[in-house]
Amino acid sequence: MGILLKSVQIIDPTSKLNNANRDVLIQRGKIVKIAANIPAEKNTVIKEKGLCVSPGWMDTCALFGDPGFEHKEDISSGLNATAHGGFTAVVTMPLTYPVVDNKASVEYAKFKSSTHLVQLLPAGALSKKAQGMQLAEMLDMHHTGAVAFTDYKEPINNPELMHRALEYSKNFNGLILSFPFDNTISPDGVWHEGGASVAHGVKGMPSISEEMRLSRDIEILRYTGGKMHVLMISTAGSVDLIKKAKKEGLNITCGVAAHQLHYSDQDMNAFDSDRKVNPPFRAKSDIKALKRGLKDGTIDVICSDHNAHEIESKCCEFQYAAFGISSIETTFATANGALQDVLTPDEIIGKISTNPRDIFGCPIEGIQEGAEANLTLFNPTAKFQVHKADFKSKGKNTPFEGQELLGTIKGVIRGTSEILY
Amino acid sequence: MSKLSVDHLLGIKYLLKEDIDLIFDTAQNFKEVINRPIRKVPSLRDITVANLFFENSTRTKLSFELAEKRLSADVVNFSAASSSVKKGETLIDTVNNILSMKVDMVVMRHPNPGAPVFLSRHVNTTIINAGDGTHEHPTQALLDAYSMQEKLGDIKGAKVCIVGDIKHSRVALSNIFCLQKLGAEVMVCGPTTLIPKHIESLGVKVSHNIKEALGWCDVANVLRIQLERQGDEKDVSFFPSLREYTQQFGINGEMIANTGRKIVIMHPGPINRGVEITSDVADSAESVILDQVENGVAVRMAVLYLLASGIGRN
Repeated sequence: MGILLKSVQIIDPTSKLNNANRDVLIQRGKIVKIAANIPAEKNTVIKEKGLCVSPGWMDTCALFGDPGFEHKEDISSGLNATAHGGFTAVVTMPLTYPVVDNKASVEYAKFKSSTHLVQLLPAGALSKKAQGMQLAEMLDMHHTGAVAFTDYKEPINNPELMHRALEYSKNFNGLILSFPFDNTISPDGVWHEGGASVAHGVKGMPSISEEMRLSRDIEILRYTGGKMHVLMISTAGSVDLIKKAKKEGLNITCGVAAHQLHYSDQDMNAFDSDRKVNPPFRAKSDIKALKRGLKDGTIDVICSDHNAHEIESKCCEFQYAAFGISSIETTFATANGALQDVLTPDEIIGKISTNPRDIFGCPIEGIQEGAEANLTLFNPTAKFQVHKADFKSKGKNTPFEGQELLGTIKGVIRGTSEILY
Repeated sequence: MSKLSVDHLLGIKYLLKEDIDLIFDTAQNFKEVINRPIRKVPSLRDITVANLFFENSTRTKLSFELAEKRLSADVVNFSAASSSVKKGETLIDTVNNILSMKVDMVVMRHPNPGAPVFLSRHVNTTIINAGDGTHEHPTQALLDAYSMQEKLGDIKGAKVCIVGDIKHSRVALSNIFCLQKLGAEVMVCGPTTLIPKHIESLGVKVSHNIKEALGWCDVANVLRIQLERQGDEKDVSFFPSLREYTQQFGINGEMIANTGRKIVIMHPGPINRGVEITSDVADSAESVILDQVENGVAVRMAVLYLLASGIGRN
């Protein structure tokens, strides 16, 4: 008949019932009743000590390889992994092959995902083929359902292109996503530049490779106006830059990848390529600054930066190994564990639910009677051991294998569909 | 201690001081052996060693091969100037193919930092790192420290300056780790562009003035300056010309004389005479450059011998 959540804690920063314990009844795709005690009747009852419910989470940065790199992640496996990570919506990056730089590619992604519980929100490329030369047909993609525009990790080295893109996006109030990384300074780096990169003889990725590009993008934003979301930052300097830009009133928001809060550059034992990621794990002082930035609202979003890879891309010499972590199934637990003493539970949920939805213009109704069901069920106090064999993602490239993380996902509900674990 | 604490020699950073002492004691015996009329011992009889060189090498390879042969090991050589990835075969597959032919130990040189560490986790053999990119060159550091010890008596408290391109040098990094474990003080000296940022975090002194460095040190380990660091059409150079490098960092006899002290001169070779070091310095009484080469064989024999004793054979 329906689903009855018994004595569940409501975590919804926008709701009057935030932090309250209630029974929540979901029937025919809607929240029909929230009360202290609702009789079970013929409904499926979900009851678990510590169980919480929040508005469905949204991840702002995941890369699926469909089309072109389906062996890494196709849309179906990617969406299954997204749901397993507790998200009911995901923004996908356009670096497939071919690149999502036209309306047909946007439609392909939407069509392939249309029957899944998880809502796929494609980001279109900012430039044709993400080559950093000519603007892609952003308006056309926007009308087809692209929620934002970015070349993701293909750097936009020509400032004129970023300038034009921001100006052009104002025609339709579009959102430009910046990935601040200048690959022309200290090229070919593989690890954060610091004591650990020196001790291991590997090329470093200095903090300024991020901060220089972020400064540039902020300067351009100030000049053009428009709307920019910085996909992820990783350094203390970037936190300061965003803070200043916000104070100045620029239309800028930013995110951080959850794993950046967990690992530092010191965690380079044995050249483990599952820890090779861009941006790289930074210094402990950077992690502190990121946490402060999350607390004071400088950083709006926690994202997965999910990059699934087949074993061959990772099980090779460190320098040749691909960057990235298959992270979407551990994003919440990673952030939840790292932020235990920093953010309250509803603040954490704000960074993966309400804030991303506001920034990308995909709001949902909060937890209230009559609202469309779009919910994540989770237990932020339950521990679990990570087993990559349990991943729904095709990518088993995780640095967390065997580790105990804090925060389990019980399921996701969207409309009349539900996936329960 | 009669056994090493490690199963492989991947880098000095993974060794204990006791390991280094044991290697030196063992090397001492082998040095005596290679100076006998019959220079061969049967210690590694029926052990097969593969020298896998994924990057060009002349002297390190020769030194290892001699060490292996003096120990009566069976030796096979594999050279692939291009990387395994470029050839389309993975490193693990390449090495497993060779191991299938019943090879007991692998000596490997590879252009990528960490390649031997990676391999040690994925294949079942004993690995000796003969240089991995800009990471480590542990046997070079061991033979350098051994030669220093031979010349000075004790390394503890000695002041050692490593001069030249520190940024791209596996020799410098391994030397730093090795000397520090043995209680020496280490300084690095070179142009600002060739000293990695953050190197102080390894606990070394940094100087950009060769005279100041020579005034401080008991030992100057002078690295070869690689001509390609002048830059090519693709990359920005680290210094404008060799001429300018030599003007600032070239060591000559007059500079040594001006210190009024004896400074032990070392060089891992091959020397660019007249560039990083003049002939009168390289050939002086305080130079131990050729002792380093001789000791290289003894130290490598010691490493091979000690690691081979861990190989289980039925």
